[in-house]
Parts: sequence; structure tokens; C-alpha cells
Amino acid sequence: MRQDTKMPTEAKEFAAASGSPALPGIDGAGISVRALQHSYGELRTIERLDLNAAPGTVLGLVGPSGCGKSTLLELIAGLLEPQAGAIEVGGATEISERLSRCAYMPQRDLLLPWFTAIDNAALALRNGGARRAPARREAARLFDRFGLGGFERSRPSELSGGMRQRVAFLRTLLSGKPVLALDEPFASLDAITRAEMQGWLAGALEADPRTVVLVTHDVEEALYLSDRVVVLSPRPARAVAELRAPAPRAAQRDEAVTDPEFVAVREEAMRALRRGSDGDDVRLAMDGDR
Amino acid sequence: MRRWALPLLLLAALIGAWQLAATSGAISGALHLEDFLVPAPSDIASSLWKNRSLLADNAWVTLKEVLLGFGCALLAGIAFAVALHLSETLRRAAYPLLVASQTIPIIVIAPILVVWFGYGIGPKLGIVALICFFPITVNTLDGLRSVDPDALKMMRTLGASRRQSFLRVEAPTALPYAFSGAKIAVAVAVIGAVFGEWAGSDSGLGHLMLQDNAQLETARLFAAVVVLSAMAIALFALLTLAERRIVTWR
Amino acid sequence: MNPRRPSVFAALILLVLSLGLTACGEKSEDSGGETTQPFHLTLDFYPNPDHAGIYMAQRLGYFRDAGLDVSIDTPSDPAAPIKQVAAGRTDLAISYEPEVALANERGLDVVAVGAIVDKPLTSMIWLEKSGVKGIADLRGKTIATAGIPYQDAYLKTILARANLSPSDVKAVNVGFGLLPAILGGRAQAMLGGFRNVEGVDLRLRGKRPVVTPVDQLGVPTYNELVLVANRRQLEEDPEAVRLFIAALERGTSAAVKSPNATVKALLKANPDLDPKLTAAEVKATLPLLESSDPAQPYGFMDPARWREFIGWMRDNAVLDSLPAPSQLLSNDYLPGEIPE
Repeated sequence: MRQDTKMPTEAKEFAAASGSPALPGIDGAGISVRALQHSYGELRTIERLDLNAAPGTVLGLVGPSGCGKSTLLELIAGLLEPQAGAIEVGGATEISERLSRCAYMPQRDLLLPWFTAIDNAALALRNGGARRAPARREAARLFDRFGLGGFERSRPSELSGGMRQRVAFLRTLLSGKPVLALDEPFASLDAITRAEMQGWLAGALEADPRTVVLVTHDVEEALYLSDRVVVLSPRPARAVAELRAPAPRAAQRDEAVTDPEFVAVREEAMRALRRGSDGDDVRLAMDGDR
Repeated sequence: MRRWALPLLLLAALIGAWQLAATSGAISGALHLEDFLVPAPSDIASSLWKNRSLLADNAWVTLKEVLLGFGCALLAGIAFAVALHLSETLRRAAYPLLVASQTIPIIVIAPILVVWFGYGIGPKLGIVALICFFPITVNTLDGLRSVDPDALKMMRTLGASRRQSFLRVEAPTALPYAFSGAKIAVAVAVIGAVFGEWAGSDSGLGHLMLQDNAQLETARLFAAVVVLSAMAIALFALLTLAERRIVTWR
Repeated sequence: MNPRRPSVFAALILLVLSLGLTACGEKSEDSGGETTQPFHLTLDFYPNPDHAGIYMAQRLGYFRDAGLDVSIDTPSDPAAPIKQVAAGRTDLAISYEPEVALANERGLDVVAVGAIVDKPLTSMIWLEKSGVKGIADLRGKTIATAGIPYQDAYLKTILARANLSPSDVKAVNVGFGLLPAILGGRAQAMLGGFRNVEGVDLRLRGKRPVVTPVDQLGVPTYNELVLVANRRQLEEDPEAVRLFIAALERGTSAAVKSPNATVKALLKANPDLDPKLTAAEVKATLPLLESSDPAQPYGFMDPARWREFIGWMRDNAVLDSLPAPSQLLSNDYLPGEIPE
């Protein structure tokens, strides 16, 4: 699963700045969704959806609550089988193969309370057959990098909300999967922590790029973290708009989100959201390169 | 130590009141507290001391029945709960029967077991196990079913096999519940042992109680009851201690 | 004011009133106009043929004729009645001669006032097919007992006569499970069953039991069932007890004369009884209800025999002391013994 490729320059700088050896990058796998359709019982949740994500990029999905974003993530990640349509992740279409390529990070951190932070983080390694000591060593290397140094032995209950999310993200990262499916990772955090975490995640992805599908209800968050953002309609979900983020994962977050171009794109996204809610039957072509 | 002070104080007060009622002629007369009906705490205490070796020997017999029966129920109960958890069909078929099994009075089952299995430790073990089985199974099963489905999803994406998910998520989730069930079971296990002995035995605290009842040895009867209670409390406390050591995350 | 309060208050008042009325009701006399005195009798066990005289007297109105409104209680276990009468909860209890001696030693202020069955019913029973021909054959066998300590002494005495000791047999305490023990083959013999109850039951099942009352095996004779009274209550109201025993004698005579009516009376008192078994038990019991010594009044308890039995109890460490029979029994309340 791990592949050695060339490192993006920003990652090298980040690695140099934090003083720890850079992890070998993972190329990420491309995602392609065609004519996806899914229902929950009698209820149609997703209606003829098409999506694309190039390897190593972040695709943001925004939409109103209950529009089926989480289901969409589970479908991509290989936790569910779609009723109609095709999903391809890194060339694999079969559900168990998709599952083996995707790491799913649910909304709640779901850290297991009976494991320490480091044992939680190393779970994927242990599941893969690694013995405890080597797995812990591997995980420990990332703890410092991600500002969790010294908290390896802590129980989840002893950590703050933001720290728990970071451990959860570490856990997802350590699974070594080329695709990360993040379901509202910062929804449970307060505004200040959330902003910090967005900056942190941006840095983490620069150091260790993967293909990421990020679901969030926060338009600004999506636009800051993603390369491209798709706006979804309320259920049944369709793509209402697709936008290109002006400054994905820019180093100075606060400056970036107040930049006029960013604000303009954000306004457009909000309009698209409202359009979708109003039921306008507008479908945009896939490569909305503006 | 501090947490024991309050209950001990209350207990001392109650015993004191009881002693007063027993020795004060006016109160015991009004309450009809003859000493052959309800002995004074001082009589019970002296009987405890006087008969300490007799009580200890019989207590050991009963304790063995309790520990073995409880042990069997623990293993069987947890295994059964896991089986019911893993198989939906089995759960639908067996769960109602499990509940119904508890409605059969032990008083009815005990003599039957004795007739089938003789007068050794077998039937007593069986009765204790029967009494303990239900709370352990039901609680453990509830614990297993309380697992967060999202946690299992998360484990799947982290490459966990069914076995790994079970060992790392479902089993630890169920552990506190299993302890709850075990604590309930151990408190009533002692009663089961006594019923088993009443159905046929030649030793044990239950057996001693029957003899004392027939011989109007009421003080020793009550002393046996005190020893039985102490046994149940000690076992309960041991389990609580074990729980605190093992379930460190609650 | 909370609108809910009045109804709760009213409910409480109603509850208290009804409890009060019930309590008063228990103390009130018979509304029929006759003045009868309430009289409580506690049996030794559930109603069975041993109580034939009692239920016939009840059924034929003999107690009422004597001015007694008799209510009959079944105890929770056979050791309870003597405690109840000692505590003044009941007027008369049916218990056993050994129990009276034990109770007296424990300081219970009770006295036996009449024998319902003045001979032992407790028997050693084995089945023909067990191959046991005599006590000596019990070596190594399993004997089911009821777990009553003085009955363990019976066993010791019985075995000693055949030069056996308790360690030569396997005695198992089965509580009330005497019949299942022997029917299930778990025990080859049982001690503690009554000849007119378990003995008859086994015979009716075609098991061919060999039934030997314990006084034929070396245990001194004793009164199996006696009426026991509270000494203080007796002093306060001796008449009631006298009248009761007199009525009981009439009832016993009537029972002996009409077994069928007796069976009916018993079945009515305890519908759980099996009619066929009860009929057979009644037939076996009625002769046993008659006095061993016709020269003595009904219910006579022989002090000399009691002295011998008490001595045996002491020798076998069932009793620590040697009370005088006069401490344990009184024949003063028997019919025909009315003091001048």
C-alpha cells in the first residue's frame, strides 16, 4: 500500500521546520464516481451523482444536513454497496478492494477508551499484524509532528477535543491507505479550535499528501482545505455546483479566508447551496474550470 | 477507608437499637421478640464465637459450591452471550427461552436436580450455576449489543478482521456490563447454594440452618445467616475490586 | 392548593379506616348471636389423616358445641408451631414429644397437654427389592434422613442394636425429599417417614415397602403427635383447652366410626390431597389414633414412658439436662380429669 514517491516541496519544508524526518509520501489514488444512485429503504438518498478526484488532491463536499453526504463517503470508502452506478478508487471497483484503499474517519473521534492515545493511533498497524512495540514506535514518530508530544500514554478521556481529533486523524493516517474519507472531522469542536485544526490539517496534508474526500457543512472550511468543492443539494443529493478553491491549504489561514477572491468564491458556493435548496434543477458539467 | 465509615456507623446504630430492644423487657415484650424467635445481637455474637470452627467448616463447604457454580456460570454465560451476539438466528430462538428459564422457581428445580445427580456437590453446583447464569448472560449480551456501530465501521476501514474487531472493540465494550452481571450473580449465588443444600446434603451452612431450625438453636441459625451474608458481601467486594483494576477507563 | 392533594389525602384516610375496621373485625365475636371464643390451632404440617379427629370435630360442629370458634393454621415448617405457641401467637400447636423436651431446654415456656397419637409413627422403611432383610444388611447402604438431629439419634440407636455405627452407613439429609430418594433408588432405606403416610404411599405404588416403627428397633416409645400449650396462657384460661380436647375426643371417635366421612372432611380441608391415597392413609391411621391404654383418658401421656424417653435423649446427647416429666407435660386437661 505504501509507495515511495517524490515529496512535494512544501512537505519537505514542513518536515524541515518541525525537525523530524519526513514520511515517505503516498501518491494517493484517484477517485471516480459515475451515475451513482442510492436509497435508504424507500427513500432515495443520492440521485445520479458524478464526482472526480485526482490523486493527491482534496475534494470537498458541502451540502445541507441530511443530504446524504455521510452515506456518500461510506459508499466511496467501501463500507456500502451502491444500488446503481459505478465507483472506482485507485482503479478498484469491487467493494472490498475499495475498503482496503480507503481509511474512513467518522464524525466522532471514536477513540477506544481502553487504549492509550498511542495504541489508538497504532490500531491499523496492529490490525495489520504488527507487534505492539514496533507499532508504537511508528506511531510515536508522528505524535511530536502533530503537536501531541508527551501525550502518547494518555487516555482519550484525558485529552481535549482538538487533541482527540488529532489522534483520530493520526490513526487514519497510519493506516497507510491512499484515500482518506473524512466525515465532518471538526464538527464537534468550537470555532477557535476548529480554525486551528484546519490549519493543522492543511500542514499535515502538505507533509503527507493523500487523496482526500472531505465532507463538511462549513463552506469556508471546505474551500480552505480542498482543491475542488462540490456543492450538493438536499436529499436526494445531486451536484448543484462545482467550484475551484482559490488558495487550497494556504499557509496563513486567516489571511487566506479574508482574501477577496476567496470571499467571492464562498459567496458563489452559498448561492449554489441556496439554489439547490430551492429545488432549481440546475446541473453543471463536471469540469467546471473557471 | 473513609467510604466505609458511614455504612458501618448506620449498621452499628441498627444493631445497637436491636440489642436494646432485645434486652429491654418492655420493648421486647411489646414487639413479641422472644429470644427463640429473634435472638439478641449479643447472643448471635457469642454463638458466632462459640461455634466458630463449626461455622467455618460448613462455610467452606458452601463457599466451594458457590465458587464452582459461579465459575461455571461465568464461563458458560459469557460464551452463550457471545454466541447469541454473533448469531441473530440463535438469539431470536434462544433469548425468550433464556428469560422463561428464570421463571421456574428454584425450589422446584432443586429437588429434581438432587434426584438426578445424587447428593454430592453436583446439584448444588447446578443450582448456583442456574441462578448465576441469567444475570451474567443478559448483561454481557447487552454490553455486546451496546457497541457503537460507527466504531465497528471505523475498525473495518482500519483493516480489522472480524476477530480483531471483536477483541479490540466488542469485548472491551462488554466488559463493564459483564462485571455488572457477575456482581448481581454472586450476590444471589449464596442463596442458590443454600437451596441446593436444603434439597439434600450433609454439610454446609444451609444444612446447618435446617438443623438449627429443627433444634430451636436460633442463635446459631442467625449466626449462620451472618456468615452467609458476610460471604456474599466479601465476594461482591472482590468482584468490585477486580472490576476497578481491569476496567480502568470508566 | 395542589388539586392532587385532596384525593391522596382521602385515599390515605380510606386506607387507615379499612385497616382499622379489619382489625376490629378480627376481635369481634360471632355475629350469629352465640358467644363463641376464638381459638387458634396450628397444625404440625399440612392437613393430613393424622388430623382426622380435628377435622371431624370441626365438620360435625363439636368445637362450636363446646363454645369454641376454632381456626386451623398450617405452619411454614414443622419446627414453627412450637415457637408460635411459645410466643403466644396461637392457642395450641401440634408438635412432637422430642420437640417439647428440646423447647423446654431452650427456655420456651410450653407444656404438652394431650397426645393425638401416643405411639411412634416415625419408621425405618426399605423396599423389598433392595434386598435388605434386617438392620445388619444396611451396612454400606445409603439411608435418607429428614435431617432432624434427634432422628439422627434414632438412627444411631437402631444401628447399634445390629452392632453398626453411623460410619458404617451413608446417611444423607434429604429434607422433605424422603420419597423421591427411595423411589429414585438414590437411597436404599429411609428414616423419618411415617408408617401411615410414606409407608402407605409406597405400598399403594406397589413398591412393597418394609415398614418398621422406630420403637420396634430399639428406640424407647414416645408420643409422636402432642398438643402443646403456652403455660402462661394455660393458667389464664384452662377451660378453653379442656373444652378443646373434649371436643377432639368426640371428633376422633366419630372419625373412627366413619372413615368415609373422615376422608371427605380431609379432602375438603386440603383439596390438594389425592383421594385414593388419602383413603388408604386414613384407613391405616384411624386405629393409631386410639389410646394405647384404654384404662386412661383420651390423650393420656404416660410420665413413666416420657421419663424413659427423656433419659434416652440425654444419653444420646440430644438433651443436655434431665427434666422431670411433670415439667414437660400435664394430664390435667384431659376429659374426665376435671379437678374437683
